[in-house]
Amino acid sequence: MADKSKMGMEFPVYTFAVEKDKIVEFAMAVSLKETREQINPIYYDEEAARRDDYDGIPVPPTFPTCSFFWTGGGLMGTIEALGINLGRLLHREEEYEYFGMIYAGDVITRTMKVIDMFTKGKGKRAIDVTVLETQLINQKGELVIKYRTTLMEI
Amino acid sequence: MALKYSDIEIGSDMPEYVTVPLSRTHLVRYAGASGDFNPLHHDQTFAKMIGMKNIIAHGLLIMGIAGEAIISWIGTKNLRKFGVRFLSMTEPVDLDDVEKTKDRATIIIKGKVIKKYKENGENKFECEITAQDALGSKKLSGFFIARLPE
Repeated sequence: MADKSKMGMEFPVYTFAVEKDKIVEFAMAVSLKETREQINPIYYDEEAARRDDYDGIPVPPTFPTCSFFWTGGGLMGTIEALGINLGRLLHREEEYEYFGMIYAGDVITRTMKVIDMFTKGKGKRAIDVTVLETQLINQKGELVIKYRTTLMEI
Repeated sequence: MALKYSDIEIGSDMPEYVTVPLSRTHLVRYAGASGDFNPLHHDQTFAKMIGMKNIIAHGLLIMGIAGEAIISWIGTKNLRKFGVRFLSMTEPVDLDDVEKTKDRATIIIKGKVIKKYKENGENKFECEITAQDALGSKKLSGFFIARLPE
C-alpha cells in the first residue's frame, strides 16, 4: 500500500536535455509510424517548424511525461519511493498545463512532489490514490509545463 | 489553412482520427520512446503473474494518440491544457488472429467544442475528447483548452 507518510514529499531535482532524435522517436511512437518521413515534419525539420511559427522543433503534447521515466530512478525508483506495488499500479489521470514550449536542445529542470494521497473505499475494495505534480523549467528559468499525474493502487 | 477562432463553433465536432490496430510492436516502440518499461506493457509472463490474461497498451500511448489528433487539428503551440481520465484497458491485435482482434486495438478519437471564451487577451475554446476502440469501449475521456487567432 502507498506510504501515506510521503504526502508532501519532494523528489530530488533533475536536469535533462531534450534530444532532437528522441523527439522524432517519440513522435513516431504516438503517430504509430515506421519512418521519420511519415510523421508531421515539424518534429524533424527545423525549417518546416519555423514556417509553422515555432522557434525550433517542438515536442508532442504528452512528451513531458518522459521526464518521469528518465529521471529519479524511473518508474521503479519512483513507485518504490512511494511504497506502491507495481503489480497493483494503474494510471488514473494525467493533466498538462502549457505555459510555453519545449524545443529540441532545451535543458529542462524537473521538480516533482506528492500533492495528495488518500484511500477511496473500504476493506478489499480500498484503492490508494497518489497525486504527483511536476514542473518543467527551461534553461532560461521559465516554467514551461506543469502536469499532474494520478496513480492508483488497486 | 491555419484554423481560426471564427472557424470554431460550440457543438461542432473535432475531425475524427482513426488509427491502425495497435500491435505489440507499437507498444514496444512506445515503451522505448517514452522510457515506460512497466512489464505489463510487453511481458506476457508478468501480465499472467498479476492475474491478467494479456499485456495492455500504455494509457499514455492512447493519450499520446489523442494528442496527435488534437495537434493535427489545432497545432501544438495553441494548446493550453490537456487532461484525461483513463477508463479501460487496450489489448493489442493478435497477428495470428487479426480479424477477431483488430477492432479491440483500433483507436478512434472524437471531440466536441463545448465552450468559447476570452481570457488574458486570448481567444480560447474548450473541447471534450474521448478515445474508444472500434467495438465502442471507451478508453479515456477528457478535455483540452486551446487558443486560436481571431
